[in-house]
Amino acid sequence: MLTKKQKRINIILVIIMIVMSLFFLFPVIWMLANSFKTDAAITRDMNSLAAFIPPALNGSFFDNYITILTNTSFLRYMANTLLYAAVLIVLGIIVNGLAGYALAKINFPFKERWLLIIMLLMIVPMETIITIHFLFIAKLGLLNNIIGYVLPMIVNPFNIFLFRQVFVSLPDDVYEAAQLDFCSPVKYFFTMVLPMSKSVVATVSVFTFLNVWNDYLWPSLVFTSSDLLTAQIGLNAITSNDNTTMGQTLAVITLVTIPVIIIYALFSKQIVEGVVSTGSKEG
Amino acid sequence: MSFIELKKVCKQYPGTDKKAVTDFDLEINEKEFIAFVGPSGCGKSTTLRMIAGFEEITSGDLYIDGKRMNEVAPRDRGISMVFQNYALYPHMTVEKNIGYGLKNMKVPADEIKKKVDWAIDILGLEEYRNRKPKNLSGGQRQRVALGRAIVKDQKVFLMDEPLSNLDAKLRVSMRNEISKLHRSLGSTTIYVTHDQVEAMTMADRIVIMKAGVVQQVGKPMELYEKPVNKFVAGFIGSPQMNFYDVSIEDGQIVFSDGNRLTMKPEITEKLKKHGKRMTLGIRGEDIKFDPQNLDIYKENKMQAVVDNTEIMGNENNLYFEFGGAVSIARVSKYELCKVGDKMEFVFVPHRMHFFDIDTEEAIEL
Repeated sequence: MLTKKQKRINIILVIIMIVMSLFFLFPVIWMLANSFKTDAAITRDMNSLAAFIPPALNGSFFDNYITILTNTSFLRYMANTLLYAAVLIVLGIIVNGLAGYALAKINFPFKERWLLIIMLLMIVPMETIITIHFLFIAKLGLLNNIIGYVLPMIVNPFNIFLFRQVFVSLPDDVYEAAQLDFCSPVKYFFTMVLPMSKSVVATVSVFTFLNVWNDYLWPSLVFTSSDLLTAQIGLNAITSNDNTTMGQTLAVITLVTIPVIIIYALFSKQIVEGVVSTGSKEG
Repeated sequence: MSFIELKKVCKQYPGTDKKAVTDFDLEINEKEFIAFVGPSGCGKSTTLRMIAGFEEITSGDLYIDGKRMNEVAPRDRGISMVFQNYALYPHMTVEKNIGYGLKNMKVPADEIKKKVDWAIDILGLEEYRNRKPKNLSGGQRQRVALGRAIVKDQKVFLMDEPLSNLDAKLRVSMRNEISKLHRSLGSTTIYVTHDQVEAMTMADRIVIMKAGVVQQVGKPMELYEKPVNKFVAGFIGSPQMNFYDVSIEDGQIVFSDGNRLTMKPEITEKLKKHGKRMTLGIRGEDIKFDPQNLDIYKENKMQAVVDNTEIMGNENNLYFEFGGAVSIARVSKYELCKVGDKMEFVFVPHRMHFFDIDTEEAIEL
């Protein structure tokens, strides 16, 4: 039972948190409200509270969005990005998952050293090795090719480490039981290990999706063909075009933001678990 | 011919000097129920895992049904196993857990269903068939593990402390279920346990191990009545056998607290051959307090003060200091006495065991 003092403290804390949330949310609310307005309306409302209120619902309410989706290839860029993300999620789970499983459960020489090397790779920023990746992909003739984009991004030391931490706590006797049930090691990985580790699979999928969705540098190097561009490059191309209005710019930014917000809303639990991953066993 | 044969099987883990299992020799007949029993770390689970193929055999040979199995993969050894922690597949229902092996064996779907239904029926799991393991109790999980083992029609069942995670009441009922299952299926079963009661009540033969070495192999009553050494004598039986350091003087057995027992001269003569000092062992039920026995063995009546009593319902345990050791006597429920009572008692002479003080081997009388 809460005392009066504790109740009062709780109310104050809730008020502080609401104020803080509004403080962080106000650019998003401003962006959303103005993405439905004409440039004239945006300029007019700039110095008043009306800047945070969307215009009245009428026939031209979605004009900015319709223009972006019909006059540019942004829809295609979004579809491209979703495809790349899907491919990388599937390949990433298989490759990083298998590596994590080997580090967790299979005995081989210098296993601990390998783990250490992989952990050290986690601190190497992508930007420092991106030139090597680019030269390598260019030599293979894979520029402007989805394989060229995906190949260097499949292996992710952080994801390997996440998988390893979870797999290490899987009970060995389940593997032994599966062996006696005529289950091959590969089948065991796909039909037992991954389903038993749903939480880390979800975490890795979310991280991979966010990485691909927010990535600008690597796709801008690999892709020059406009058919293959990603949402972030499309966003840059559209917003830097002189003919794009401010309302349209805000509309395209909103479109890019929506999937990220949905993903965070749906998988916030997995994202937090991933960040504080301790390899706790699935119940 | 024996169905499973272990010949001088040894296990030594890399980087260790000591063998975890040393020269394990055993022949197991078809349809036999064998229990490996011993304290923690005695090598019983390691031996079972070598038979299953989960541990490599360092040296020696393992034969199952006449075929050498040392290098054969676990799945090809014709065995089923029930694990201590059940090892159920957490994301599968009871039905799928039981049928998973059959599915991998490419058994036709209708036959899988028939076998799974049969297992679910005999194990009483009908109402849980669509539940996942996390929604089952310990006993139900153990039954699913048993179901998974029995549907595959393998000739050998290996059970690694399958009841150790269950509460005492459930252990008794599962013990009974496993015994019945063994009889009805007629499979060869190797059962590992640290609980000598489980071994005594279920097994046709028991293998007692200590520090990786087999101490004695025999039928339960054989081990109880004729233990080959002090370790076996102490391990089998509850409460544990009472042990006293004694010496032979003037044809009598002398306890460290000065109490004396008169024995037949031919027995003391035989005992003397093994040295002046030895260990005397006697089980709690062979220490008698009743008037009839006190009268029969009146020349060896002794006295002690009861330190503690344990009322078990069907019998009582009496604790008392005697012969320089804490002794426990098992008496009938009618022989009640209080803490502090001075009691007269006798040892039944022909129920006494003697062990060499140095080797701890039993002395044949």
